Amino acid sequence: MFVGCLILAIAALFSPERITGGLANGLRQTILAPLVWLQEEAELGRGSRARLRELLAERDSAAYAAQVLPSLTAENERLRNLLGLSHRLRTPYVAAEVLHQAQVTDARMLLLNVGTAQGVAGFDPIVAPDGLIGVIWNASRTSSVAMTWAHPEFRVSAFTANGSAFGIVAASTSGVGSDAYLEFRGVPYRDSVVPGTVVLSSGLGGVYPKGIPIGTVVGVIREEAGWARVYRVRPAANPGSTAHVLVLTGRRVGSIADAYPVDTLEPAARPDSAPLPKLAPTLGGGNEPKAPARARVDSAGKVPARAKPDSMGKPPARAKPDSAVKPKPKPKPKLPPADSARPAPPPAAPAPTPAPKPALGDSNP
Amino acid sequence: MNGSRTARVHLAIIFGTLILLHFYVRPRLFDTRLAPDFLLFGLVVFAMRSGPGAGALAGFLVGLATDALSPAKFGAATLADTIVGYAAAWGRAVFFADNVLVNAGFVAVGLWLRDLILLMASGTPQGQLLVELGVYSPLQAIITAAAGGLVLLAFRQWFAVRLDG
Repeated sequence: MFVGCLILAIAALFSPERITGGLANGLRQTILAPLVWLQEEAELGRGSRARLRELLAERDSAAYAAQVLPSLTAENERLRNLLGLSHRLRTPYVAAEVLHQAQVTDARMLLLNVGTAQGVAGFDPIVAPDGLIGVIWNASRTSSVAMTWAHPEFRVSAFTANGSAFGIVAASTSGVGSDAYLEFRGVPYRDSVVPGTVVLSSGLGGVYPKGIPIGTVVGVIREEAGWARVYRVRPAANPGSTAHVLVLTGRRVGSIADAYPVDTLEPAARPDSAPLPKLAPTLGGGNEPKAPARARVDSAGKVPARAKPDSMGKPPARAKPDSAVKPKPKPKPKLPPADSARPAPPPAAPAPTPAPKPALGDSNP
Repeated sequence: MNGSRTARVHLAIIFGTLILLHFYVRPRLFDTRLAPDFLLFGLVVFAMRSGPGAGALAGFLVGLATDALSPAKFGAATLADTIVGYAAAWGRAVFFADNVLVNAGFVAVGLWLRDLILLMASGTPQGQLLVELGVYSPLQAIITAAAGGLVLLAFRQWFAVRLDG
């Protein structure tokens, strides 16, 4: 019996992914379906408590934000006009829950509670509010398996936010747990990257859209044969602790840089911005309004001119006191919500209301 | 109801409870990486009370389910759990399987062994392997053994465990 089981196990170990993937999908949809359902319910229960806390925090934050809303709204409108940004993420996506397992390899491969029935397919990129998580490895009807950036085989073409260097980002083979980090490889020797530089996906290769934050450069690890450097990158998102993610289901997504405002990645780069009240992190249906569009990475991956000095060298008038930018007292033009330019969500998804966190499992295929 | 049938009913209740604990309670309470692995606990306890063949088969099935749910490398968990189930069944011949501490120790060693085989079979880089086996696996093994000890005490009549050292 033991030898038989051992042979079968070894056979499974060396079987092609096509066979094992089909077997795993079959098991998940039949015998293991009740267990997956149980775990989904448990995650939902745990998520409900966390969401209640978040909602309370958001309610308090919203009450605070309401006090400064008029000035922020006016500032938002002016900056939108100034920067010409009116488009947000145009990519269809599916919100998914991560069903973590008690395995040592959990952070490398994640089980998601969405599958082909929700429009998910292999090689769909997975993002979290903080940045890139990974890619769909295979998808069955109701669940899918994701390979995260912590997987040794993970690679993504990347470039720095200022466009100065291109390279390949891969998981480091030495860091684990909270010390896990990424490596920004193949950066030409002449292109030095200073610590603190944000690294984004470049869109090359056709899997990951352009502009997804991958991490932040924290230093040089080594040099390769005197022609290239390898940089250590602190990951933007942590797959091990991520409970909810978005699966980008659209094919041929060019760039989603607009969905990740640079000012949220580089807080130090906006000394002239009015400090915004800290809102609890939001991620659910993906339709929640985001921070006012200040300076986003444009389609070329560069920060558009946002605080260009004028000919006199002064910064453009933008953060004047409220008295200078008072909103008009009479019929106020009704401002569109922050993400009004997004494509309308499908009927299943909640409308983009001020409620910042739609119910879990909402999707936007 | 005869003794054998009663034992089977007890076994079904215990394993139903363990499945509930693993898939419904654990995600609500624990950090995933260090959460007790009730499936492995059930496997070791079952294997220690059955023959090597049955232990290996149980390990194979548990591993298959684990691989289907978290396929870092399909077959790795199947291989690991098969060996652990088989080894646990043989361990009964060496140790006193009716002692709660021995059971808990078996669970801890079994979990560490499972992680060792799983990590090696799934091609984990050396640095990560050392940290996992040196830090996280022992911690999870201790937590799983402690949680398993509580389950053993809760069902001590059915498991017929001894509480004295």
